[in-house]
Amino acid sequence: MADIQKAQIEGTPALDGRYISEMDMWPLECQEFNRNYQFYDNLREGRFTTTKCQKCGYIAFPPGVICPKCWSDDLEWVDLPQRARVVAFTETQAGAPIGFEPPLIMAWLDFGKDSPLKHLLGRIINCPEGKLKEGDEVKFVVFDVPAHPIEVKRETKICDRVYYAFEPVEKAA
Amino acid sequence: MAKRTNAVILGGGVSKFGVRQAHLLDMIQEAAKACSDDIPALKPTDIDGLIVCTTLAGRHSNALNTAPLVVHRLGLRPTSICIRLDTLCAGSNSGIIVAKGLVESGISDIVLVTGAEKVYLPQRWETNYTQLMVNDHDWDSAMGLGVPPPFFAMIARMHMKRYGTTKEQMAHVSVANYNYGSTNPNAHFYPRTLTIEEALSARLIADPFTLFDCCPLSDGASAVIITSEERAKDLSDRPLVYIRGTGQHATHSMSAGWPGETPAEWPHLKKAAEVAYKNARVSPKDIDVAQVHDCFTISQIIEMEELGFCQKGEGGDYVASGAINIDGERPINTDGGLISCGHPFGASGARQSLELCKQLQGRAINQVKDPKIALAHNLSGASAQHTVVIYGTEPVE
Repeated sequence: MADIQKAQIEGTPALDGRYISEMDMWPLECQEFNRNYQFYDNLREGRFTTTKCQKCGYIAFPPGVICPKCWSDDLEWVDLPQRARVVAFTETQAGAPIGFEPPLIMAWLDFGKDSPLKHLLGRIINCPEGKLKEGDEVKFVVFDVPAHPIEVKRETKICDRVYYAFEPVEKAA
Repeated sequence: MAKRTNAVILGGGVSKFGVRQAHLLDMIQEAAKACSDDIPALKPTDIDGLIVCTTLAGRHSNALNTAPLVVHRLGLRPTSICIRLDTLCAGSNSGIIVAKGLVESGISDIVLVTGAEKVYLPQRWETNYTQLMVNDHDWDSAMGLGVPPPFFAMIARMHMKRYGTTKEQMAHVSVANYNYGSTNPNAHFYPRTLTIEEALSARLIADPFTLFDCCPLSDGASAVIITSEERAKDLSDRPLVYIRGTGQHATHSMSAGWPGETPAEWPHLKKAAEVAYKNARVSPKDIDVAQVHDCFTISQIIEMEELGFCQKGEGGDYVASGAINIDGERPINTDGGLISCGHPFGASGARQSLELCKQLQGRAINQVKDPKIALAHNLSGASAQHTVVIYGTEPVE
């Protein structure tokens, strides 16, 4: 029972932390539910990775179980660039889903012409409101998000979770 | 299967859109009643095909296999098709594309396409979590992409920077659409009118958007009848409105796969439109009246460009020129669009197509002078999918 209570408290921070699965904003990352769990395990080691096709060489994002270009399932994990430039961005004060603290900053990130991942909508954290500028350089950062309980052979197992975002390389004064 | 006939849109009906004190199925019954009033000769049991277009029915109304519920409530006895369809914001225009194929191949005779959403729940902000599920939940949504205004505001800032588009130009869209919607009793914001000054001085939602740059989420339902030209002549004396051509295109589910150079370029819409124009044997200059997906003012501006109504980057000038007004070269969103009507995702497409049906039959409230060709467009989610349907008073030869 103690573990379940812990999970409820660590759930989506709505309705006193009790309302978890219906409004979960994070992926089910654990091996029991996700064949791409390696992505999240790599996050825990500070690596930003995805799957590359061994047959045709295509690097997909997000990662998958097959290559979306040639449908081969012969894939390997490769690292992606961890720095990008802000092309455009938006700051939300009101209306951000509960669990995303305002200001919620999302930016259109350019990883450069040599990157297999060209662009991404990335959340910018550790950045005060009004400080981000177009052209700023940002870097990959990993953080803990609420754990998720799953049932394994009638036992409750708590799956710790992580996610990633980006933060300014030069900290605003 | 060879094409056996030409599909037409016969007529339809729309419920009141807004924050409704009603269940999903109540609103579908209202739309069906309005559809029946529009086509008095049609009996429920004449309908042999049903396509129910909804995204939220499962989550918000506890109704996952929605089509049988609609069968029961409307007294239908479908024999050729009975399905639910989900393409989010494009729901019922996708349903019309499917219905055209079913009718023209001979599989179905008379198809009811209905779209409906119950957006608002007792805990209102729960809808914000649903919004995390209509995009790519595990990737973009986990970055905070939920409610649409921030994403489209970013697109607007990009468009302003690259093409010089201004807030005043965007206000021309909201003013035109509010003023069209002020004559549409089913519109969410009926009978509100709007001036440029009011639009520009309203409270900020997400820079550069003020309140009036954004469409509201709404509860509501719509229903249209798609049938063959032969059956249409049995059921109605009105001029026939043919579904001349359609196109639907998707390239990605999340930002990493975005097909444009920047978020201000929507090549996937351009492609969907090219396919629809080719199938309809028309070009952009032939479009007399259109209903486009104005979820935000910037959306309508970019759509003017990608649909070929003006050059890329000139959408702001185009909407500010008056071209979109009732006396302009190409009136747009003549029933109020999403901005005034509101946006019950699955219901919006059939609402648009019904307005175009009425325009081509000469019976719209804001009637355009003698239109021959009309176009409907939806985008879905964060511009993930684009859907185009072209109607005409004559079939494709």
